[in-house]
Amino acid sequence: MAFYDGLFRVLGLENWCGAGASDAPLSMADLLAQSSGDGAASGPVFPFPSLDNLNESCGNFAQTRDLTKGLEDAFLGAKDSIKAVLDPITQPLSWLLDGALWMFAIIPWFIMIPILVAIAWWASRSIAVTVFVTFAILLLAFVDHYAVAMQTLSIIFVCTGISILLGVPTGIAMSKSDRLQKALVPVLDLLQTLPTFVYLIPLIFLFSVTESKLYGIAIILYAIVPVIRLTDLGIRLVDKDVIEAANAFGMSSNQRLAKVELPLALPNIMAGVNQTIMMSLAMVVIASLVSAPGLGVNVLRGIRNLELGVGIVAGIGIVLLAVILDRVSKAALSRVDMTHKTH
Amino acid sequence: MTDTPKVRLRGLYKIFGPNHKDMMQHVRAGMGKPELLEQHKHVLGLQDINVDMMAGEITVVMGLSGSGKSTLIRHLNRLIDPTAGEIIVDGVDVMGLSDDALRKMRQEKMSMVFQKFALLPHRSVLQNAAMALEVQGVDEKTRTAEGMKWLARVGLDGYEHHYPAQLSGGMQQRVGIARALTANTDIMLMDEAFSALDPLIRTDMQNLLLELQAELHKTIVFITHDLDEALKLADHLVILKDGAVIQQGEPQGILMNPSDPYIEDFVSDINRSRVLRVQSVMQPLKGTKFAGDVDIRANLESLIARSEGDTSLHYRVMDGDVAVGELHMRDLVKALVPRISSAA
Repeated sequence: MAFYDGLFRVLGLENWCGAGASDAPLSMADLLAQSSGDGAASGPVFPFPSLDNLNESCGNFAQTRDLTKGLEDAFLGAKDSIKAVLDPITQPLSWLLDGALWMFAIIPWFIMIPILVAIAWWASRSIAVTVFVTFAILLLAFVDHYAVAMQTLSIIFVCTGISILLGVPTGIAMSKSDRLQKALVPVLDLLQTLPTFVYLIPLIFLFSVTESKLYGIAIILYAIVPVIRLTDLGIRLVDKDVIEAANAFGMSSNQRLAKVELPLALPNIMAGVNQTIMMSLAMVVIASLVSAPGLGVNVLRGIRNLELGVGIVAGIGIVLLAVILDRVSKAALSRVDMTHKTH
Repeated sequence: MTDTPKVRLRGLYKIFGPNHKDMMQHVRAGMGKPELLEQHKHVLGLQDINVDMMAGEITVVMGLSGSGKSTLIRHLNRLIDPTAGEIIVDGVDVMGLSDDALRKMRQEKMSMVFQKFALLPHRSVLQNAAMALEVQGVDEKTRTAEGMKWLARVGLDGYEHHYPAQLSGGMQQRVGIARALTANTDIMLMDEAFSALDPLIRTDMQNLLLELQAELHKTIVFITHDLDEALKLADHLVILKDGAVIQQGEPQGILMNPSDPYIEDFVSDINRSRVLRVQSVMQPLKGTKFAGDVDIRANLESLIARSEGDTSLHYRVMDGDVAVGELHMRDLVKALVPRISSAA
């Protein structure tokens, strides 16, 4: 006898309950309880009136399993219409990712490595950083991780680029409208606090695992947050006196944005870009669960097959890549000295 | 046409708060600043401002902090919109302008100099000076030529390619003034332009402004909380307290006849002998024997020096070649004592 039988008897709901006998499938726990004899005696003395416990006494109560199943059915029902809208919009992302992966693979190492070193020099203008980048890439290539590292890097390039392209205008819009800021901040908070695996769940339903946009969307959603936040913050932090001067001399709002606000917000925006790059890297490793190629796949192999060495080498490769990206973007950030305080 | 004011403010009110339009009825019914704040939680920023600003004159608006002077100057180019009243510039009501027309007016009629300089930190000194022309869409070559010209005029040649953060406060404000001059507008608004500078540099800048004004004859609206500065610069002095004009007129007149204990307190601390001029203390011409001739615009300090402190002397006051009155040293000494009605 279940704990809450008495309650329903007192309330006179016995007949109502009896009428709606449950036809829900038995869970593993139920089966175990049945096979071991009396289930009620082994339970707690005073169980919490949860859906499952109430269901034992009264079949009209749904089980929690019905709730998750309902959610799943609802999602599957809406899936086709969501997909019809999202699929064409996000298709270019697949092309971009596939194109970038193909390009990084097709360019031979003796051209690619000098290009990357040149980019590092151009962005950082620091000999130390450039030398470090060169050694790190050569080291990765030496232990035969060049190809996977390039895959990871190409995904990061594409996803960071798109994040900046979408994030900066969003941040600008947010800085101009308090209402939009109020609406977006909870969404950004959600995106940043949601455990990274949870992102993947609805995406797996929507898109096929063979499509690269699946992990592309996951990475962008996760990594776009800092660039939006810091663009908004940067523009809001621009000295009010300077804005007033721009207005007093008759600047239009577009002139003000291009000539005053964006240049003065640039250090903050660059800090956001640095964060976005680092978060892309973090996510691209997680996204190897949904078939994102790159170093993350080797880490996953290390976990799944208990190939300790493979996992560790790939892990160190990720750390190297992270340090490269961080040093180069930080060096670029520190070069952005808009106010020329030192000369 | 010199007697039509360049800028006229008529019945200007500003109330800060969410329902500022509705508050006008209370203010019109005679409610004061403290009552409005207490009963309706709205701040009365300006009340019934009527000021005429003449072309080619320096109008100084003076008041302590919180008196509404910075609010007032921001109404002229509508950085702040009034709750009620008219702002007429060159015969046009600024309140009736569309956004585009307002921007055009800000570009072509008024330039502004700010207390905290408000230069663009990411632009060079030259680019800052030429900013107004850039906004107007003037080509680069003219812009550079104009910018260089005015930078040289304010004594900054050689600094064109520096950045604001590399200059001292006084030099930054020179850039601010060059920027306003490059805009080539008739009206210059100066919001406590020299208040952030140390006293010596402030005196320099005041002299620079007077020198420029003697040459350019702009219509300048100057905000300050410093009476010495106000008296030095003003052709027309407006004294503001709690958002209302309590006295305005020619500065010597205000000094000799303060209309309010508040102004008396204000003027009691200044060096009267240096500010007051012969004109303000002279009497109609009656006598015939004089110790000498003095110019009508000479200040009293110079006369005390000349008379070597002898209070029995009389001087003949000359305006150019014409004798216009006489001055008794005794009157002069009396005029040096500030009138304090509350002290008795």
